[in-house]
Amino acid sequence: MSAGNMLYGGDEIGALVFDPGHHSLRVGYAQEDTPKAEIPSVVGVGPSAPDTNMDIETKTDNNITQNNADTRKYYVDTTYVNVPRTQMEIQTYMKDGMIDNWDLFEKVIDYTYAKVIQSDPEYHPVLFSEASWNVRNNREKLTELMFEKYNVPAFYLVKNAVLAAFSSGRATALVVDSGATHTSAVPVHEGYVLSQAVVKSPLGGDYLSMQCRQHLEKQGIDLSPAYKIASKDVVKERDNARFTLRKLPENLTQSWQNYMLKSLLQDFQMNILQVLENPYDERVAAQIPSVHYEFPNGYHQEFGSERFKLAESLFDHAMLGAGQLASTSVGMCDADVRLSLFGSVVVTGGNTLLQGFPERLNRDLQLRAPSNTRLKMISANGSVERRFGAWIGGSILASIGTFQQMWISSQEYEESGKGQVERKCP
Amino acid sequence: MADVRDILDIERANTPEVTRESFLVQKRRNFEKAKGVSKRPEGMHREVFALLYNDNKDAPPLLPTDTALGIGAGYKQAKARLGMKKVRKWEWAPFNNPARTDGAVFHHWRRTTDDQKDYPFAKFNKQLQIPTYTMTEYNTHLRTNVQKWNKAQTDHLFDLAKRFDLRFIVMADRWDRAQHGVKSVEDLKERYYEVVGLLAKAKGQNSDKKSYAFDAEHERKRKDQLKKLFERTTQQVEEEQMLLNELKKIEARKKERERKTQDLQKLISQADQQSDVATNVQSARKYEKKLVKKKLHHQPRPSKVDSVVNAIEIGGSGIKFSDLRGSGVSLRSQKMKLPANIGQRKVKALEQAIQEFKVDPSPPPTEEICNAFNELRSDMVLLCELRTALSTCVYEMESLKHQYEAACPGKTLNIPPSLIPAEPIKEEIIEPGTSASTNA
Repeated sequence: MSAGNMLYGGDEIGALVFDPGHHSLRVGYAQEDTPKAEIPSVVGVGPSAPDTNMDIETKTDNNITQNNADTRKYYVDTTYVNVPRTQMEIQTYMKDGMIDNWDLFEKVIDYTYAKVIQSDPEYHPVLFSEASWNVRNNREKLTELMFEKYNVPAFYLVKNAVLAAFSSGRATALVVDSGATHTSAVPVHEGYVLSQAVVKSPLGGDYLSMQCRQHLEKQGIDLSPAYKIASKDVVKERDNARFTLRKLPENLTQSWQNYMLKSLLQDFQMNILQVLENPYDERVAAQIPSVHYEFPNGYHQEFGSERFKLAESLFDHAMLGAGQLASTSVGMCDADVRLSLFGSVVVTGGNTLLQGFPERLNRDLQLRAPSNTRLKMISANGSVERRFGAWIGGSILASIGTFQQMWISSQEYEESGKGQVERKCP
Repeated sequence: MADVRDILDIERANTPEVTRESFLVQKRRNFEKAKGVSKRPEGMHREVFALLYNDNKDAPPLLPTDTALGIGAGYKQAKARLGMKKVRKWEWAPFNNPARTDGAVFHHWRRTTDDQKDYPFAKFNKQLQIPTYTMTEYNTHLRTNVQKWNKAQTDHLFDLAKRFDLRFIVMADRWDRAQHGVKSVEDLKERYYEVVGLLAKAKGQNSDKKSYAFDAEHERKRKDQLKKLFERTTQQVEEEQMLLNELKKIEARKKERERKTQDLQKLISQADQQSDVATNVQSARKYEKKLVKKKLHHQPRPSKVDSVVNAIEIGGSGIKFSDLRGSGVSLRSQKMKLPANIGQRKVKALEQAIQEFKVDPSPPPTEEICNAFNELRSDMVLLCELRTALSTCVYEMESLKHQYEAACPGKTLNIPPSLIPAEPIKEEIIEPGTSASTNA
């Protein structure tokens, strides 16, 4: 411990930070500025392999969680999930912002320690993030899992909104988090979530993908993801695509195909869609230059006003628009903290990278905020900082010297059990 | 070269570790040594030797500097030459955090040379002193209260206070509503400070610790108003803004009107003055021509005197000194400053009067003097006004007299001596207009 460390208040103890979300699980060492890995929060579940050549299979695959009772095979992480395999179902372990399928989640954690961290869990304290509306049962279960199965030396659980606020250097903030499955507005006061005033809506990136899919299918555009395409020819704009299909294994499951289609749509929506700063207006939208997009099968065209119309669906709901969520949430807080909440609105989550999202949110909030309040929006510029806001906050928190007294240590767990997570991690 | 030796794992002479002093001192010595060694051989030209040997092997500077290698004190910072020294080692060492109660041991990187002190961040572990109470204390002092809190609720409150370090907003958020009913932030604060106050009183530690009184009613009212302020709709805000603008407009209009009436008054008095002279001449002629109609014509015409007297009465005469309320901190002498709306003529007259009565023009501004001085000057202005009024009256009286004599030649108008100003007195001035007409 040197003087320099004292100066900046940092003290790193080799902690790991896990930030589970609906789109992905972010994992990495505390004190680093980006996660070591971003693992999709889905697991491919294959049928039990034929007994004979199982050894070879396990060697080539990453199937490290083979045990005797469960002969199904699990595929974790992008490189394994994205491979077309016979009868591989795609399942997610998340539900409503919380971990739901614990067996699958364990597989992912196993994979993380073996392939990403490549170290034993008993050497690294673990900091987990959680949704602000996580329930006691879930929290205790996670605590139990980490201590009992992975023997971590210490554990801590923080609400992801608090972490996102920390990553922007705020202890008091209104965190507007728009992720894959939902958008939420969470007031954070001096490092604590005001849980009574959390507001969320199910409009997120996935909803937008669905809208895109409906729109593109209505247009009659063939949405073949890249895995289906063996080769393609260059065609003129809006001409029919000329491509040959790849030879694929039989019995590809619907869930896997949907998953692959979704990643195509996500690419489409991130590149094409844009939110207007003011509510959608056909004339304004028509004046903005159109954007060109080429689908994996070679078909390409310009997208004009529809790219604004699609994105507008995130905002034009009377009750569920992001601006409405934020102002409702502030309205539910004590009158004394409202000013400070409006004074720092932290925008985080991958879906906020949608072009024009922060500007539109700013405008919507400005309309709803009382006229004499100072409204300040804080949105990180880099896509990494925006997508991994909560993880970065966790990385900061876990490497602060004064935080090291907060961990639930294994000794404490043994003394008072999992129930104390409720007391120690508010 | 140190790197190569390290890679090849060749033992290296044990050099002392780098410190700031060591390399700075070292550098000076090297320079001196080099100076001693490089000596010009016999017969070698100085210029040739200069090509071979240089103090430092760098290219010569484009600009002359006096800083290189310690000639003079130098502004340039000496370059740290660290490569040849052994670095201080770091180790992944266990540490014990005294701020923890469980004695858990974590590891962190630490210099081996650093001494094993207490964990430096432990000193930041500050905790609030939340008072506690025993069962008997509760029963004797805290059981009865106006807000009907029971023991379980109070316990829960103090537990929350300890957990969240008196962040009442968070405490209200985490309050167990299912078990203990809904409580507002003010309810919690009220009860907490009540209990703390009672406990302090019971334990008799009032002397050293200040107990805080919490005015719950006031706080509730304040928050209510704050809420109302926040919950105004845009329409209401706009309406309020509009009303404020209207008010401003009305006030502006009022001022404008006042200004206009003043102007008008001035104009009237000026016009009167001028037309007076004119009409006097005209009417004199008319009288000559139309003697018959004299009686009819002689209406009680608007006398100049009336307007002057009226002006004095309406204008309130004297000076309205601005009270400085609302303008923040100011010097009391500011109170004695003449307001800006006084005309130049008045100011002049006032100055003259001050000189005339030999008054100190800027007395020390104590409260009493200020008021008295202001009153005095106000009276002086009044005096001046009255004097001018008097003189106009006298003038008018004279002119009336002349008119009369002109109208009825051979007759003289005897003005009663009481009307002739010897010493100007108020009562005298009001009379002449009426007396003149009655005399006629």
